[in-house]
Amino acid sequence: MIDSQLLVSGFVFGLSMGSIFFLMTIGLSLCFGVMRVISLDQLLYYTVGAYIAYTVSLAIGNLWIGVLGGIVVGGLAALAVERLVFRRIYEREIAFSMITSFGILIGGVGVVKYFWGLVPRPVAMPIDAQIFVLGTEIPVYRLVVVGIAGLVYGGIWLFLNKTIVGKAIRAGIENVEHVEGLGINVSRLFTLIFIIAGGLSGLAGGLHAPLIMVEPQMGLEVLAFAFMVVIIGGLGSIKGTLVSSFLVGQVVSIGSLIYAPLAQMAPFAIMLLILLVWPTGLFGSPMLKK
Amino acid sequence: MSLVRWWSGLVLAFALLAVLRIYLPLPFAIEVIIFSIYTLGCSFLLGRVGFISFGQPAYLAIGAYATAFYLFYFGNNPYIGILIGIAAGIVGSLLVGPLLVRLRGDYFALVNLALAVIIYYLMQKVLADITHGDNGLWYLTNMSSTPVLDLTRPDQFFIFAFIVAFAIWVFFKYLDDSIYGACCLAVKVNEDKLRFLGYDNFKVRLTAFVIANTTTALAGALYAVYLGFVSPEITSPARAADPVVVTILGGAGTLYGPIVGAIVYTGMKDVVSKVIGNWELIVGFTLVFIMLAGEKGIWGSLEPRLNRLMDRMTGKRSDEVGQ
Repeated sequence: MIDSQLLVSGFVFGLSMGSIFFLMTIGLSLCFGVMRVISLDQLLYYTVGAYIAYTVSLAIGNLWIGVLGGIVVGGLAALAVERLVFRRIYEREIAFSMITSFGILIGGVGVVKYFWGLVPRPVAMPIDAQIFVLGTEIPVYRLVVVGIAGLVYGGIWLFLNKTIVGKAIRAGIENVEHVEGLGINVSRLFTLIFIIAGGLSGLAGGLHAPLIMVEPQMGLEVLAFAFMVVIIGGLGSIKGTLVSSFLVGQVVSIGSLIYAPLAQMAPFAIMLLILLVWPTGLFGSPMLKK
Repeated sequence: MSLVRWWSGLVLAFALLAVLRIYLPLPFAIEVIIFSIYTLGCSFLLGRVGFISFGQPAYLAIGAYATAFYLFYFGNNPYIGILIGIAAGIVGSLLVGPLLVRLRGDYFALVNLALAVIIYYLMQKVLADITHGDNGLWYLTNMSSTPVLDLTRPDQFFIFAFIVAFAIWVFFKYLDDSIYGACCLAVKVNEDKLRFLGYDNFKVRLTAFVIANTTTALAGALYAVYLGFVSPEITSPARAADPVVVTILGGAGTLYGPIVGAIVYTGMKDVVSKVIGNWELIVGFTLVFIMLAGEKGIWGSLEPRLNRLMDRMTGKRSDEVGQ
C-alpha cells in the first residue's frame, strides 16, 4: 500500500519529531511530578532556545554552540521565573499554576517579539549529509537529534537512579513532605528541577530550529502537542513521556503518509480514546493534589 | 432581598453598557458584547463549578459553524440560524459532556483543548469540501433582512445582541441565586459533601457543562451572523486561552466580571497594539500580576468595595461584604 521507502523515511521523521517532543515535555512532566504545577512556560524556553540557536548560528556559523547557548539561556530564564513567580504559587491548586504560567508564556512571547521581530527566520542545517538506510535517503541531522534525545534520557535515568539528588527527586514525586522530613532542602531541589526543565526545553528548541522556521508563535503552536504528550504518558511520569512522545511522533508522521489531513488530528483522537480507558494516561498515577 | 434590588445591578450594568455604545465605535461595542457572552460560559465553569477549560473555542466553533451551514446551504433567516447554533451547542455539549465531566480538573482542561484542536483540523482539512477549508464560508449576501430588528445591519444587530446579553445575564443571576447554583459551588468546594446531601454530582456537573457551553455556542452563532463569514481561525489553538485570560482579568465566577474583562481585554488589544504593537507582553504580565495579587480580577476586587460604598450611602449595615 505505502511505498517502503516512504515508510522508512516517515519512520525516521517520526522518531526525530518524537525526540523533540520528548525533550520539550520532560520539563512539564518533571515539574508536575515533583512540584505539582503545570509549567506552560517551558514552551517559552523552547522558543527562546530556538532563537538563541538562530542568533548564534548566524553570528558564529556553528549551530551547536547556539544550542548550548539555548540550554544555558533557557535554564537561566527558568531560574528567574522560578524565583520570581513559581516560588509563590507552589502551594496553590493546579489550575492556578496553569493560568499563571500561561501568562508568563504569553508575556514572554511578547518579549521575544520585541527582540527578534515577527518575521519567521530560517536556520541552516548544520549537517547536510544523507545516508542510505534500506535504500532510502535519510538526513543525518534527524538521526543525530534522535541520538541526543536518547543520550538525554539515559542521562536523566542515571541522574535519577544513581545520584543522591536524583533519588531525592524521585522520592519527591512520591511524597514531598517525607523528603522534607528527611532533612533535604526541598526549595533548592525545586529550583534545580526547574533549571533542568528549562535547559531541556531550550535544547529542544535549539535542535528543532533547523527543521522548522523560527517564529515568535512557535511555542503556542506546539502547545497542543505538548499537552497531548504529557496527557497520554500520564502527568509526572518520565517513562510515560518517553513512550507517548515517540507514539505521537509516529502517529503524526505515519498518519500523514496514509491520509494527510489525519496527521494533525489523529493524535488527539488517540488521546481521547486512551483517556477513556485510562483516565490518568498510560503511566500516570491516580494521585491528587491534596 | 427585594425585587427592585435584585434587578438594580443588572439594569445599572447594562445601562452603562448602553452608554458605552454612544462613546465608542460600533464594532468595538459589538465585539465587547459577544466576547462577554463567550467569556460568561468559561467564567461560570471556572468560578462556579471549578472546571478550567482551555477548549472553549471548540464550542464557539460548534455554534458558529452550525449557524454558518444553515445560512450558507439551507436558508437565509439569521434568527433561525442563531436558533440552530444554540441547538447545536446543546447537542454538542450533551455528546461530549458525559465523557468530559468525569475527568479530573487538570485533565479536563487539557482534553478540552484537544477537542478544540480536533474541531480546528476537522473544519480546516477533513471537512474541507463542506467548510471550504481556510477560506471559510462567506454568506453575508445570503442573509435576508428581517422585520423588527434587521440583523444584517450592524446598528440593529447591536440592539439584538444587547437584548440577548441582558436575557443571558438575568438567567445567570437567577441561576446563582437558585439551589442549583449552590449545588454547582458545592461541586467546586467539596463534592463528597454534596453527595452526602443526596445530590447527583454527575448530573450537576453535566448540567453546568451544558449550560456554559450552550452559552458559548450562542456567542459563536452571534459571531457568525455578525461577521457574515466563518473560518477555522475561530477555533485556532493559539486563541484557545483568550476566554480564560478574560475570565481571570474580570474575576472568575463573578456575574459582571466577563463584561469588565471583555472591555479591558478588547480595549487593551486595540490601544496597545496601536501604540507599541505588542499586546501579548502587556496581557501576559497583567495576567501574572493579577494571579499573584490574589486572583480576584478587576471586578472581583472592585465588587466588595462598591457594595460597601452602596451600603454606606443607603445607611445600611454591611453584612454582605464578606461573601
